[in-house]
Amino acid sequence: MKKLHSIIVILVAIITISCEKVTDVNLNTAPPKLVVDASITWQKGTSGNEQKIKLTTTTSYYTPVAPAVSGATVTIKSSDNIIFDFIETPNTGDYICSSFIPIIGETYTLTINYNGQILTATETLKSVPVIDKIEQEVKPKFSGDGNQIDVKTYFTDPVNSDDFYLTKTQTSITAIPEFRVTEDTFFQGNQIFDLYQNENIVPGNVIEINLYGISQRYFNYMTILTSIAGNAGGGPFSTPPSTLRGNVINTTNPANYVLGYFSISEVDKIIYTVQ
Amino acid sequence: MPFKKKYIVLFTLFGILNSFSQEKFTLSGTITDTKTNETIIGVNVFIPELKTGTTTNEYGFYSITIPKGNYQVQISYLSFQTISETINLDKNTKNNFKLSSSEEQLKEIVISSEKTKTNIRKAEMSVNKLSIGSIKKMPVVLGEVDVLKSILLLPGVTNAGEGASGFNVRGGGADQNLILLDEATIFNSSHVFGFFSVFNPDAIKDLKLYKGGIPARFGGRASSVLAIYQKDGNSKKFSTSGGIGLITSRLLLEGPIVKDKGSFLVGGRGSYAHLFLKLSEKQKDNAAYFYDLNAKLSYKLNPNNNVYLSGYFGRDLFSLKKQFENLYGNATLNLRWNHLFSDKLFSNLSLIYSDYYYGLKLDFIKFQWDSGIKNYNIKYDFKNYISDNFKLNYGLNAIYYDFNPGTLKPTGTDSGINYLQLEKKKALEPAAYIDAEQEISKKISLSYGLRYSLFYRLGQSTINTYANNEAVVFNSELQIYEKAKPTGTTFYDKNKTIADFSNLEPRAAIAYQLNENQSVKVSYNRMVQYLQLISNTSSPTPLDIWTPSDSFIKPQIADQVALGYFKNFKDDMFSLEVETFYKKVKNRLDYIDGANLIANEAIEQVILNGQLRAYGLEVMLRKNEGKLNGWISYTLSKSEQQTKGRNALETGINNGKWYSSVYDKTHNLAITSSYKVSEKWTFGANFALQTGQPATFPIGQYQYQGITVPSYGLRNVDRLPTYHHLDLSASLTPNKNKGRKWQGEWVFSIYNVYNRQNAASISFKQSLENAKNEALRFSIFGIVPGVSYNFKF
Repeated sequence: MKKLHSIIVILVAIITISCEKVTDVNLNTAPPKLVVDASITWQKGTSGNEQKIKLTTTTSYYTPVAPAVSGATVTIKSSDNIIFDFIETPNTGDYICSSFIPIIGETYTLTINYNGQILTATETLKSVPVIDKIEQEVKPKFSGDGNQIDVKTYFTDPVNSDDFYLTKTQTSITAIPEFRVTEDTFFQGNQIFDLYQNENIVPGNVIEINLYGISQRYFNYMTILTSIAGNAGGGPFSTPPSTLRGNVINTTNPANYVLGYFSISEVDKIIYTVQ
Repeated sequence: MPFKKKYIVLFTLFGILNSFSQEKFTLSGTITDTKTNETIIGVNVFIPELKTGTTTNEYGFYSITIPKGNYQVQISYLSFQTISETINLDKNTKNNFKLSSSEEQLKEIVISSEKTKTNIRKAEMSVNKLSIGSIKKMPVVLGEVDVLKSILLLPGVTNAGEGASGFNVRGGGADQNLILLDEATIFNSSHVFGFFSVFNPDAIKDLKLYKGGIPARFGGRASSVLAIYQKDGNSKKFSTSGGIGLITSRLLLEGPIVKDKGSFLVGGRGSYAHLFLKLSEKQKDNAAYFYDLNAKLSYKLNPNNNVYLSGYFGRDLFSLKKQFENLYGNATLNLRWNHLFSDKLFSNLSLIYSDYYYGLKLDFIKFQWDSGIKNYNIKYDFKNYISDNFKLNYGLNAIYYDFNPGTLKPTGTDSGINYLQLEKKKALEPAAYIDAEQEISKKISLSYGLRYSLFYRLGQSTINTYANNEAVVFNSELQIYEKAKPTGTTFYDKNKTIADFSNLEPRAAIAYQLNENQSVKVSYNRMVQYLQLISNTSSPTPLDIWTPSDSFIKPQIADQVALGYFKNFKDDMFSLEVETFYKKVKNRLDYIDGANLIANEAIEQVILNGQLRAYGLEVMLRKNEGKLNGWISYTLSKSEQQTKGRNALETGINNGKWYSSVYDKTHNLAITSSYKVSEKWTFGANFALQTGQPATFPIGQYQYQGITVPSYGLRNVDRLPTYHHLDLSASLTPNKNKGRKWQGEWVFSIYNVYNRQNAASISFKQSLENAKNEALRFSIFGIVPGVSYNFKF
């Protein structure tokens, strides 16, 4: 969908004399809000004991560093009431646990106590299929000269269940990761590929792909997030953006809501050197 | 007693309709262009002795019933020579007048050239007429004459910006305009995502835009009606006209089939910019072109019967390195039969087919996508010219719709996509209307009518059922809207009614003439729109699909009142039109955050019902004659949307607050003028200045999983920078044209003379290279020169 709109923009650019330029926009900044970056991931073949949760606040759009939030109490509890404590590395906003035990299908509850406010969120650990293979394909560039290398990561969707996926791609030539979401509506039970396209990829570049199994609610959240965040977002065919609400609830004062998400997923990772 | 009263009322009415009928006769006929026999729409037929008159209808027919007597009948129409003829009306008389274009007459003979002056007498208001002649003189992007771009200069009309498709009338959505080409509905009015309109200017005769006070014969859209009439074709002699431009070339052939009785018209237009793409090594695998074909056959069976067969076919094709292929367009076919039951009763029967097709092939993700809408329309309209001060229009109409929301096909064996046919949707929209135009005194004219519209959403379909009949649920813990899980399904067999609606749509307008040159008018109309365009982008895309109202999607109901002051002054040299309006639309769709609208089989799970309101003031000052003519239009308006929560726990969209719709433009100024320097040179200039489009800018940012997430607050509280541009044109009609068959004309134009980089959007993104947060302005046109050559022989 988003892809289609960006293609239309490319087309418009080809047929017209359009241009995209960095511009100065004076922006207002709202008072800071707490942001919970709690993605618990269990990479296939590891114990999953080492986990990190990051607490920051919102800041002005042009500020490069997010202010860290220190002094919170962070725990995750399993449905069997096993509590995992996340301890802050002093003054970093990074809360770390080295003894986490991930179990597929287990439901976990995150609790954060910060300044007397109790924040909670609940998620179930989703499994993910293994990455079957990774292939590259040479295709002509959409805009401009010559060819580009597309990277396709194949995996097989389980039959008879509605599944949701998140892929994160980090390359040796990009400064930030890129996320994509997929649902199996049109692919039920088939071998699916995730397509990574970047016109600047050349042989020798290293690409790391992480495939996560995610819940439907996290899929909805990431669908909106990937349409406004990072290098995505905007353009003449974009949809009106709005406050992105996650699953972390302020039980003390619901009106003082927090941003971010508590997700917990199994992940399969592959590192590929472009040929 | 009440029984008696009824009779008195009836008699009085009868009396009004038939008073002195024994002394009255009817003058009727058609008015055509001498040169081509083309019928002319909206010609004024005026009887100075009685200070009364009428105008020709869409088929060039007029009828007026007046007392027996000797009259000087004046026939006048814009850019035609006014004629005056003595008629001795002692019996019902048929008189077909012929008008000659004023350009072809020697100056001495011209009595007067009719002006575009505002109609003071008629109750009709909020209507703008443009003749193709004046449209062709306006400066345009790349020299491509554009019917739709010209209406953007009218008060109360805007669009999303350069290159955006569609247009917005009085703060309404682009989907709320009924666009009719020879009565056939056009679902997508743009080529190339909005850069050009689908109407070939050579094949068009006239257009009329109804922004308010919409007559009862029109229905089905909430905001406006744009009626475009194709030419019938020259039944006198064979002629060719055309043009060569930078982007497109046009050719139109017309001529008699049987002289003075039957004519044909075939027109084609195609772009060839893709040929230039092929020349460049960089773009040689890309294609981007469009074409359209217009055809019409007209035949006069006898003085009381005319038949017309007209058609349109247009397609856009884009291809990007064979990875992305896109084909879409409209097709219409229309058979019409004009029949005169008497010199007072005109009828037209139309059978209309129209379809819109959209196809997309994405090779890189291996799928083909097709969608479309087909409709079959039967219309029977009557115009009954009862007396010189009373006219009745009535008719019946039924439209059958066949929607294909989407067919998804895998391409290639490694596609991974399963074949999927989204359930086709069918619907029937019948309607009946009656509309009266009445002059109750020399000062007061009325027009009032009623439309009764019905809508049936028909099977075969399997419809989801939901708990509490709510397809969208509100998660009060997370404060977000989510799709509801269906509790089951209901199967409706073929032609079984799934949902039905019926609405009475009253329309009324009154004009009070202050004096011969001034009047005030008030109008009210209710419009009901049963089809919805599913779109949540700021400007429509060809991908957007139409869907019928059903158990979950209610029809949009629009109520509009308008008040206006109209004045012609300085001997009709100038006209001033001031109007103010207030419009409210119920059941305007809004979408939950993150809604995916493409190939969504359960669209009801992502939509919420909201409302739209718009109000404003429009001023238009027009200079009607002289070497310099044109107009200044200014609109001050507001257009807002609101989607409240369905109960106290829900937040609604934008916290349930009113927010600016994407087509809200506070100020909108347009100036268009043309200056005839000599017989050889005519210059034109357009200037447009508008408040920037509403936008939502971030109110901060945060870091999540290593990327920047801009945080957003309330919707559409920011604005893109002010939009403005100045365009110039010069038309050269060489002297050597005189006395020869070949008539040529050069049009040179410069769009956006001072190279304003108007923002089509501002995006907030993080650079992939250095992770910096940036604001990026996307602008479409800088300065664009253009040239085209038009010919006729």
